[in-house]
Amino acid sequence: MDELDPVIHASARLKITATLATLEVGDQIAFPRLQELLGMTAGNLSTHLRKLEDAGYVDVVKSHQGRSPVTYLALSRTGRRAFEDYREALRGLLGESS
Amino acid sequence: MDDNRTPATALDEPLGDPREMLAMLEEQQRRVADSQIAPVVWLYFIWGVAWFVGFLALWSGDVDGNPWFTIPAGVATPLFIVLLVISIVSSAVIGLRINRGVRGMSSFSGAVYGLSWSVCGTAFGLLGTALISHGMSTDLANLFFPSGFALMCGTIYLGGAALWRDKSQLVLGLVMLVVGAAAPFAGSPGNDLVFALVGGGAFLVTAAVMAARLRRNR
Repeated sequence: MDELDPVIHASARLKITATLATLEVGDQIAFPRLQELLGMTAGNLSTHLRKLEDAGYVDVVKSHQGRSPVTYLALSRTGRRAFEDYREALRGLLGESS
Repeated sequence: MDDNRTPATALDEPLGDPREMLAMLEEQQRRVADSQIAPVVWLYFIWGVAWFVGFLALWSGDVDGNPWFTIPAGVATPLFIVLLVISIVSSAVIGLRINRGVRGMSSFSGAVYGLSWSVCGTAFGLLGTALISHGMSTDLANLFFPSGFALMCGTIYLGGAALWRDKSQLVLGLVMLVVGAAAPFAGSPGNDLVFALVGGGAFLVTAAVMAARLRRNR
Protein backbone atom coordinates (compact mmCIF):
# COMPACT_ATOMS: atom_id res chain seq x y z
CA MET A 1 0.00 0.00 0.00
CA ASP A 2 1.29 3.45 -0.90
CA GLU A 3 1.98 5.97 1.80
CA LEU A 4 -0.95 8.16 2.74
CA ASP A 5 -0.87 11.45 0.83
CA PRO A 6 0.72 13.92 3.32
CA VAL A 7 -1.13 16.86 1.76
CA ILE A 8 -4.51 15.36 2.74
CA HIS A 9 -3.41 13.39 5.80
CA ALA A 10 -4.01 16.15 8.37
CA SER A 11 -7.38 16.45 10.03
CA ALA A 12 -8.12 20.02 8.86
CA ARG A 13 -7.18 19.35 5.25
CA LEU A 14 -8.93 15.98 5.25
CA LYS A 15 -12.15 17.71 6.31
CA ILE A 16 -11.69 20.42 3.69
CA THR A 17 -11.10 17.98 0.84
CA ALA A 18 -13.93 15.71 2.04
CA THR A 19 -16.29 18.71 1.99
CA LEU A 20 -15.15 19.93 -1.42
CA ALA A 21 -15.51 16.38 -2.77
CA THR A 22 -19.25 16.49 -2.02
CA LEU A 23 -19.67 19.24 -4.64
CA GLU A 24 -20.77 18.17 -8.09
CA VAL A 25 -17.95 18.29 -10.64
CA GLY A 26 -18.06 21.78 -12.17
CA ASP A 27 -19.41 23.44 -9.01
CA GLN A 28 -17.57 25.89 -6.78
CA ILE A 29 -18.31 26.93 -3.19
CA ALA A 30 -17.95 30.38 -1.64
CA PHE A 31 -15.36 30.71 1.14
CA PRO A 32 -17.87 31.77 3.87
CA ARG A 33 -20.18 28.84 3.14
CA LEU A 34 -17.25 26.39 3.19
CA GLN A 35 -16.14 27.90 6.49
CA GLU A 36 -19.65 27.41 7.88
CA LEU A 37 -19.77 23.75 6.81
CA LEU A 38 -16.38 23.12 8.42
CA GLY A 39 -16.73 25.22 11.56
CA MET A 40 -13.15 26.50 11.17
CA THR A 41 -11.82 30.01 11.69
CA ALA A 42 -11.22 32.01 8.52
CA GLY A 43 -7.48 32.21 9.23
CA ASN A 44 -7.10 28.49 9.82
CA LEU A 45 -9.13 27.66 6.71
CA SER A 46 -7.07 30.06 4.57
CA THR A 47 -3.81 28.54 5.76
CA HIS A 48 -4.86 25.01 4.88
CA LEU A 49 -6.45 26.07 1.60
CA ARG A 50 -3.15 27.68 0.59
CA LYS A 51 -1.37 24.36 1.20
CA LEU A 52 -3.95 22.54 -0.88
CA GLU A 53 -3.69 25.18 -3.59
CA ASP A 54 0.12 24.95 -3.59
CA ALA A 55 -0.18 21.19 -4.10
CA GLY A 56 -2.50 21.83 -7.06
CA TYR A 57 -5.43 20.14 -5.30
CA VAL A 58 -7.71 23.17 -5.01
CA ASP A 59 -8.65 25.75 -7.63
CA VAL A 60 -9.22 29.24 -6.25
CA VAL A 61 -11.35 31.71 -8.20
CA LYS A 62 -11.59 35.31 -7.04
CA SER A 63 -14.88 36.84 -8.00
CA HIS A 64 -17.13 39.77 -7.16
CA GLN A 65 -20.66 39.84 -5.84
CA GLY A 66 -21.73 43.43 -6.34
CA ARG A 67 -18.80 45.31 -4.84
CA SER A 68 -17.63 42.77 -2.32
CA PRO A 69 -15.02 40.23 -3.36
CA VAL A 70 -15.89 36.55 -2.93
CA THR A 71 -13.49 33.66 -3.22
CA TYR A 72 -14.83 30.46 -4.74
CA LEU A 73 -13.16 27.11 -4.24
CA ALA A 74 -13.30 23.68 -5.80
CA LEU A 75 -11.16 20.56 -5.97
CA SER A 76 -9.04 20.44 -9.11
CA ARG A 77 -9.11 17.24 -11.14
CA THR A 78 -5.83 16.26 -9.45
CA GLY A 79 -7.29 17.09 -6.04
CA ARG A 80 -10.42 15.01 -6.58
CA ARG A 81 -8.33 12.08 -7.74
CA ALA A 82 -5.95 12.49 -4.78
CA PHE A 83 -8.91 12.52 -2.37
CA GLU A 84 -10.37 9.36 -3.89
CA ASP A 85 -6.95 7.65 -3.80
CA TYR A 86 -6.52 8.73 -0.19
CA ARG A 87 -9.89 7.28 0.79
CA GLU A 88 -9.10 4.05 -1.02
CA ALA A 89 -5.72 3.90 0.72
CA LEU A 90 -7.39 4.29 4.14
CA ARG A 91 -9.87 1.56 3.33
CA GLY A 92 -7.04 -0.61 2.07
CA LEU A 93 -5.13 -0.14 5.33
CA LEU A 94 -8.25 -1.13 7.24
CA GLY A 95 -8.73 -4.18 5.05
CA GLU A 96 -12.00 -2.87 3.62
CA SER A 97 -12.71 -3.26 -0.02
CA SER A 98 -14.67 -0.47 -1.68
CA MET B 1 1.73 5.89 11.25
CA ASP B 2 4.90 7.81 12.03
CA ASP B 3 6.47 6.41 8.87
CA ASN B 4 3.99 8.43 6.89
CA ARG B 5 4.78 11.66 8.58
CA THR B 6 6.64 14.12 6.46
CA PRO B 7 7.95 17.57 7.34
CA ALA B 8 4.96 19.05 5.51
CA THR B 9 2.51 17.49 7.94
CA ALA B 10 4.63 17.50 11.06
CA LEU B 11 3.54 21.07 11.70
CA ASP B 12 -0.13 20.15 11.63
CA GLU B 13 -2.33 18.68 14.31
CA PRO B 14 -1.41 15.17 15.38
CA LEU B 15 -2.57 12.54 12.92
CA GLY B 16 -5.02 9.89 13.89
CA ASP B 17 -4.92 6.28 12.82
CA PRO B 18 -6.56 5.26 9.53
CA ARG B 19 -9.79 4.25 11.27
CA GLU B 20 -10.12 7.67 12.92
CA MET B 21 -9.25 9.44 9.68
CA LEU B 22 -11.83 7.46 7.70
CA ALA B 23 -14.45 8.09 10.39
CA MET B 24 -13.61 11.81 10.33
CA LEU B 25 -13.91 11.88 6.55
CA GLU B 26 -17.28 10.14 6.57
CA GLU B 27 -18.55 12.22 9.48
CA GLN B 28 -17.70 15.46 7.65
CA GLN B 29 -19.39 14.32 4.43
CA ARG B 30 -22.47 13.25 6.40
CA ARG B 31 -22.50 16.68 8.06
CA VAL B 32 -22.55 18.34 4.65
CA ALA B 33 -25.33 16.03 3.43
CA ASP B 34 -27.36 16.61 6.62
CA SER B 35 -27.04 20.37 6.22
CA GLN B 36 -28.81 19.98 2.87
CA ILE B 37 -31.44 17.54 4.15
CA ALA B 38 -32.51 19.51 7.24
CA PRO B 39 -34.18 22.36 5.29
CA VAL B 40 -36.00 19.81 3.10
CA VAL B 41 -37.53 18.25 6.23
CA TRP B 42 -38.92 21.68 7.12
CA LEU B 43 -40.30 22.09 3.60
CA TYR B 44 -42.13 18.76 3.74
CA PHE B 45 -43.44 19.57 7.21
CA ILE B 46 -44.78 22.98 6.13
CA TRP B 47 -46.43 21.50 3.01
CA GLY B 48 -47.77 18.59 5.05
CA VAL B 49 -49.50 20.95 7.48
CA ALA B 50 -50.81 23.07 4.59
CA TRP B 51 -52.30 20.05 2.79
CA PHE B 52 -53.64 18.40 5.92
CA VAL B 53 -55.17 21.46 7.57
CA GLY B 54 -56.04 23.27 4.32
CA PHE B 55 -57.90 20.43 2.65
CA LEU B 56 -59.58 19.40 5.90
CA ALA B 57 -60.81 23.01 6.15
CA LEU B 58 -62.16 22.91 2.59
CA TRP B 59 -63.84 19.57 3.28
CA SER B 60 -65.34 20.97 6.49
CA GLY B 61 -66.44 24.12 4.67
CA ASP B 62 -68.81 22.16 2.44
CA VAL B 63 -72.24 21.16 3.78
CA ASP B 64 -71.80 17.72 2.19
CA GLY B 65 -68.36 17.31 3.73
CA ASN B 66 -67.39 16.89 7.36
CA PRO B 67 -70.33 15.17 9.16
CA TRP B 68 -69.12 16.30 12.61
CA PHE B 69 -68.82 20.06 12.20
CA THR B 70 -68.93 22.69 9.49
CA ILE B 71 -66.63 25.68 9.03
CA PRO B 72 -68.11 28.70 7.24
CA ALA B 73 -66.92 28.69 3.63
CA GLY B 74 -65.85 32.31 4.16
CA VAL B 75 -63.27 31.00 6.65
CA ALA B 76 -62.29 27.69 5.02
CA THR B 77 -61.30 29.04 1.59
CA PRO B 78 -59.20 31.99 2.86
CA LEU B 79 -57.53 29.67 5.37
CA PHE B 80 -56.62 27.28 2.55
CA ILE B 81 -55.23 30.14 0.45
CA VAL B 82 -53.22 31.60 3.36
CA LEU B 83 -51.66 28.19 4.10
CA LEU B 84 -50.82 27.78 0.41
CA VAL B 85 -49.19 31.21 0.20
CA ILE B 86 -47.16 30.60 3.39
CA SER B 87 -45.94 27.31 1.96
CA ILE B 88 -45.01 28.80 -1.41
CA VAL B 89 -43.09 31.67 0.19
CA SER B 90 -41.26 29.36 2.62
CA SER B 91 -40.40 27.01 -0.27
CA ALA B 92 -38.82 29.84 -2.21
CA VAL B 93 -36.87 31.09 0.81
CA ILE B 94 -35.77 27.66 2.04
CA GLY B 95 -35.11 26.36 -1.48
CA LEU B 96 -32.73 29.22 -2.20
CA ARG B 97 -30.84 28.56 1.04
CA ILE B 98 -30.23 24.84 0.49
CA ASN B 99 -27.43 25.28 -2.00
CA ARG B 100 -26.35 28.78 -1.00
CA GLY B 101 -22.76 29.71 -1.67
CA VAL B 102 -22.48 27.13 -4.44
CA ARG B 103 -22.28 28.10 -8.09
CA GLY B 104 -21.54 26.20 -11.27
CA MET B 105 -23.10 23.33 -13.15
CA SER B 106 -25.69 22.47 -10.48
CA SER B 107 -27.05 26.04 -10.20
CA PHE B 108 -28.60 25.61 -13.65
CA SER B 109 -30.46 22.47 -12.50
CA GLY B 110 -31.54 24.22 -9.31
CA ALA B 111 -32.76 27.31 -11.16
CA VAL B 112 -34.75 25.30 -13.71
CA TYR B 113 -36.24 23.19 -10.92
CA GLY B 114 -37.21 26.28 -8.92
CA LEU B 115 -38.67 28.01 -11.97
CA SER B 116 -40.66 24.95 -13.00
CA TRP B 117 -42.86 25.37 -9.89
CA SER B 118 -43.99 28.88 -10.78
CA VAL B 119 -44.21 28.19 -14.54
CA CYS B 120 -46.20 24.95 -14.13
CA GLY B 121 -48.37 26.49 -11.40
CA THR B 122 -49.26 29.40 -13.69
CA ALA B 123 -49.97 27.05 -16.61
CA PHE B 124 -52.33 24.83 -14.58
CA GLY B 125 -54.03 27.91 -13.11
CA LEU B 126 -54.59 29.42 -16.57
CA LEU B 127 -55.98 26.14 -17.90
CA GLY B 128 -58.47 26.02 -15.04
CA THR B 129 -59.45 29.64 -15.59
CA ALA B 130 -60.01 28.95 -19.30
CA LEU B 131 -62.14 25.90 -18.48
CA ILE B 132 -64.25 27.97 -16.05
CA SER B 133 -64.74 30.70 -18.67
CA HIS B 134 -66.03 28.00 -21.00
CA GLY B 135 -68.61 26.75 -18.58
CA MET B 136 -66.82 24.42 -16.14
CA SER B 137 -69.09 24.19 -13.10
CA THR B 138 -67.96 24.93 -9.53
CA ASP B 139 -68.27 21.24 -8.74
CA LEU B 140 -65.95 20.33 -11.60
CA ALA B 141 -63.55 23.16 -10.72
CA ASN B 142 -63.40 21.73 -7.18
CA LEU B 143 -62.22 18.48 -8.75
CA PHE B 144 -59.91 20.05 -11.31
CA PHE B 145 -57.85 22.51 -9.25
CA PRO B 146 -56.63 20.29 -6.40
CA SER B 147 -55.92 17.44 -8.82
CA GLY B 148 -54.11 19.72 -11.24
CA PHE B 149 -52.04 20.96 -8.30
CA ALA B 150 -51.27 17.41 -7.10
CA LEU B 151 -50.38 16.19 -10.60
CA MET B 152 -48.07 19.18 -11.03
CA CYS B 153 -46.37 18.48 -7.67
CA GLY B 154 -46.02 14.79 -8.55
CA THR B 155 -44.48 15.49 -11.94
CA ILE B 156 -42.00 18.07 -10.63
CA TYR B 157 -41.04 15.83 -7.70
CA LEU B 158 -40.24 13.02 -10.14
CA GLY B 159 -38.01 15.48 -12.03
CA GLY B 160 -36.31 16.45 -8.75
CA ALA B 161 -35.86 12.79 -7.85
CA ALA B 162 -34.14 12.18 -11.20
CA LEU B 163 -31.95 15.31 -10.87
CA TRP B 164 -30.66 14.65 -7.37
CA ARG B 165 -31.20 10.88 -7.10
CA ASP B 166 -33.54 11.74 -4.23
CA LYS B 167 -35.75 8.90 -3.00
CA SER B 168 -37.94 11.13 -0.82
CA GLN B 169 -39.03 13.08 -3.91
CA LEU B 170 -39.57 9.84 -5.83
CA VAL B 171 -41.92 8.48 -3.16
CA LEU B 172 -43.75 11.79 -2.72
CA GLY B 173 -44.00 12.27 -6.50
CA LEU B 174 -45.63 8.88 -6.98
CA VAL B 175 -48.06 9.45 -4.09
CA MET B 176 -49.02 12.87 -5.52
CA LEU B 177 -49.66 11.40 -8.97
CA VAL B 178 -51.80 8.59 -7.58
CA VAL B 179 -53.76 10.87 -5.24
CA GLY B 180 -54.21 13.55 -7.95
CA ALA B 181 -55.53 11.01 -10.43
CA ALA B 182 -57.67 8.99 -8.00
CA ALA B 183 -59.16 11.67 -5.70
CA PRO B 184 -61.70 13.00 -8.29
CA PHE B 185 -63.40 9.58 -8.21
CA ALA B 186 -64.47 10.44 -4.66
CA GLY B 187 -66.33 13.48 -6.04
CA SER B 188 -66.43 16.88 -4.34
CA PRO B 189 -65.93 17.48 -1.42
CA GLY B 190 -64.81 13.88 -0.76
CA ASN B 191 -61.69 14.56 -2.83
CA ASP B 192 -60.62 17.20 -0.30
CA LEU B 193 -60.60 14.57 2.44
CA VAL B 194 -58.46 12.27 0.25
CA PHE B 195 -55.98 15.11 -0.37
CA ALA B 196 -55.83 15.97 3.33
CA LEU B 197 -55.28 12.41 4.53
CA VAL B 198 -53.20 10.84 1.75
CA GLY B 199 -51.42 13.94 0.38
CA GLY B 200 -50.88 15.75 3.67
CA GLY B 201 -50.17 12.44 5.38
CA ALA B 202 -47.47 11.54 2.83
CA PHE B 203 -45.67 14.85 3.40
CA LEU B 204 -45.85 14.56 7.19
CA VAL B 205 -44.73 10.91 7.27
CA THR B 206 -41.81 11.66 4.93
CA ALA B 207 -40.78 14.63 7.08
CA ALA B 208 -40.97 12.49 10.24
CA VAL B 209 -38.91 9.65 8.74
CA MET B 210 -36.23 12.07 7.50
CA ALA B 211 -36.13 13.94 10.82
CA ALA B 212 -35.68 10.65 12.70
CA ARG B 213 -32.83 9.69 10.37
CA LEU B 214 -31.12 13.06 10.89
CA ARG B 215 -31.40 12.70 14.65
CA ARG B 216 -29.82 9.24 14.48
CA ASN B 217 -26.85 10.69 12.56
CA ARG B 218 -26.15 13.23 15.27
